[in-house]
Amino acid sequence: MSNTSDTPKTNPLREGLATRVVPQACSVVIFGATGDLTMRKLIPALYNLAADGELPPASAVIGFARRPKTDEEFRKEQGEATRKFSRQTVRDEIWSGFAEALFYHQSEFHDAAGYKSLAERLEKIDKERGTGGNRLFYLAVAPDQFEPILKNLKDAGLNQPREGGWARVIVEKPFGTDLTTARELNAVVRTAFAENQTYRIDHFLGKETAQNILVLRFANAIFEPIWNGRYVDHIQITAAETLGVEGRAGYYEGAGALRDMVQNHLLQLLCLVAMEPPTDLGPDSIRDEKVKIVRSLHRMSAEEITRNVVRGQYAEGAINGQTVPGYRSEKNVKPDSKTETFVALKVRVDDWRLADVPIYIRVGKRLPKSGTEISVHFKKAPAVLFNRESVSLDQNVLVIRIQPDEGISLRMQAKVPGTSFRIEPVKMDFHYGTSFGKASPEAYERLLLDAMSGDATLFARRDEVEEAWAFIDPIEEAWKAKEKQPGLFEYPAGSWGPEEADELLARDGRAWRRL
Amino acid sequence: MPPAAETFAPGISVEIGKIDRELKKLWAEGGGAKTRASLINLAVYSEAPGSLPINTRIISEITEAHACRAIVIGANPAAKKNRVEAWINVHCHVSRAGSKQVCSEQLSFLLEGPSARLLPNIVFSQLDSDLPLVLWWQEEFSDPMDPQLWAWVDRVIYDSQGWRDFRAQMERVETAQAEAKQRIVLCDLNWTRLVQIRLAVAQFFDHPSMQTYFDEIESVEIEFAPGFRSTALLLAGWLAAQLRWSDGRQKGKSELGFRGQEGKKIKITLSEKAGEPIGSCVVRCGSVEFKVTHAPNADLLEVAAGDRKCRMPAGQNDAVRLMNEELMRGGPHHVYLRAVNCVSEFL
Repeated sequence: MSNTSDTPKTNPLREGLATRVVPQACSVVIFGATGDLTMRKLIPALYNLAADGELPPASAVIGFARRPKTDEEFRKEQGEATRKFSRQTVRDEIWSGFAEALFYHQSEFHDAAGYKSLAERLEKIDKERGTGGNRLFYLAVAPDQFEPILKNLKDAGLNQPREGGWARVIVEKPFGTDLTTARELNAVVRTAFAENQTYRIDHFLGKETAQNILVLRFANAIFEPIWNGRYVDHIQITAAETLGVEGRAGYYEGAGALRDMVQNHLLQLLCLVAMEPPTDLGPDSIRDEKVKIVRSLHRMSAEEITRNVVRGQYAEGAINGQTVPGYRSEKNVKPDSKTETFVALKVRVDDWRLADVPIYIRVGKRLPKSGTEISVHFKKAPAVLFNRESVSLDQNVLVIRIQPDEGISLRMQAKVPGTSFRIEPVKMDFHYGTSFGKASPEAYERLLLDAMSGDATLFARRDEVEEAWAFIDPIEEAWKAKEKQPGLFEYPAGSWGPEEADELLARDGRAWRRL
Repeated sequence: MPPAAETFAPGISVEIGKIDRELKKLWAEGGGAKTRASLINLAVYSEAPGSLPINTRIISEITEAHACRAIVIGANPAAKKNRVEAWINVHCHVSRAGSKQVCSEQLSFLLEGPSARLLPNIVFSQLDSDLPLVLWWQEEFSDPMDPQLWAWVDRVIYDSQGWRDFRAQMERVETAQAEAKQRIVLCDLNWTRLVQIRLAVAQFFDHPSMQTYFDEIESVEIEFAPGFRSTALLLAGWLAAQLRWSDGRQKGKSELGFRGQEGKKIKITLSEKAGEPIGSCVVRCGSVEFKVTHAPNADLLEVAAGDRKCRMPAGQNDAVRLMNEELMRGGPHHVYLRAVNCVSEFL
């Protein structure tokens, strides 16, 4: 399965106009075109790219789904949704041009004839619009649909790049539910597309601040020398949300917080914060370093899991002054559900840089506040001088806020004005929204453009996904064990999780950072 | 550059020596509800009568996207009477998150008579430390160029569209750049004006198979608005520089000739027509035509390769948009200098 056109010849007219690889015009085929993801994220993202002049104007978008619909109906429906969900106000004159390149292709996912006609349609679009045989297939469907779609794409020859063009596939999470299913899924994808044609999307990596972690660490000489166990006391990664399952109970019941958030998003953040400098900014250089971190994660024994992993489930409580039901009372949730809506873990990266630096991860639903952040807690100043007689000073803490209010802050000590030597912590704060007037593109905009450009840096590679499952699986197994099963602790909605999560840090003489 | 339709007062009148103290007072009045932000020092110099209120309005809009400390100078060196006045002002905008006001400071100076020579001193004494200095020079450059000032500038922004003698001006800028102790990036708004047109032309050739057309280019037709011949020439210079055309010659006012890499003759026709600075650009390769046209009454470009047509955003020819584009893109402008070199004889 060659993909010879993945490295395009440089266009001399692009010099100085773009600081990124320029995408070529292509046909984006979205499977699951009538679904929520397409309406809320994908089409608005493509429209925003067009409005910003980033989408190659010859590009076309083909929605592939089961329901009968005409092109016009599809355009109208997507237009309404884009007006509702786009980050920019939709301008009619831009939408009309964009909508002309929006098509609908009705077929069952398992119907081979639908793919034959899709191939014919793509040929026609290539001729009419000049998409040069470039195809990007987006699987915005449940994983159980991957196999028939990929098999049919292969049988129709659509997995093969056309002469001078390319064929790529974007796969949405979840990438399996454990290591075995992830391997099976990867094998299914591999039957049709080579690894360098496969883009596993994790929208967290498309966020501006996630990308900025590498810039912060490797473009500022002051951080790297102290980014190690000699100076760093511990690291915390938090992803908190006030929302409950919000109609996703069907999926969430089978997944839980560990699979839904930790296996992918939070381990990706952990990798960015713990990795070594890559040799260059090429996709594989960065992903090679990331995969080393996942591989270095200390695999916990059943005893260690009981000690270092806390799972919780929210009970009735209040969010923003409003009473909310407990998880087991949510629609489509079993009354005796054991699905965790909160996880706190203490993990260890067994590598030279961060050995002995505990990394605490917590994720939860129905917490008092929404926010995702990484905080690096540095060791305290020695107990001399100002520290000698007073209460010990606070640590310096570097906080990288992923969402909302993206930014970076640094806590340090300062003397309170006056004749005494009173020392208090102060915060230096950088907010993206304050310093840069330009709005960041949505994660999906960046990631779609990257896939069109053949840049896989912000996409998960097969080995990253599988190694992450290899770390997660023993925890899931321990939770399902018949004997010595770790407890599932209740926490009231609107609290910061079960007390046992606080205990996880308290026994190390630490506490969760206040968000 | 068209003048701004609306003008703003430059702010509270202050004594030059008390600017810092007055600024502190101004912030204290805000009661902490406003956040001061600054990523660059943006010094603006103009000798046009009444430039201060016009530039205040422009800065007010620029600061929506680019937080800065603006130092706006209105000078009249020819005035007989010496006069120095200063004002302070803040431009506040609600942040993207919508929760707080983000504000940029503006310091304005009116320098008349011999005090106009105080320019470097005024700029130096008001800089926000450690931030880059961007100098927007709205005048033609004249000798002597102050070496002290140039030694501090990181980027100099000018608009060659209004230059009467392009070559003499460029020579002055390049001399000042060479004499400066650090590398100054030259930013020509006349070049910035071409960004969207260049993007539209470039995208035709992104697919590797389309790049074979480079060798087949026979002619280029550029339509420009009155007063924008230099813009059209820069566009021609860009094509020539990037596609390595050589042997540039001018045939009359409206035709240039180059030779392609294979020695093939390439004709560039420039024609004047009222409308947008660059109304259209057509690249012909045998029977295939690549055409970019400014859509009437819309900030959109219509791009057509043969029968295939679509639309792209077009830039706007006003000071705020051009400055925003320039400040947002940043980076060096090597391609600009190459383009200038290709057509400098005709400018």
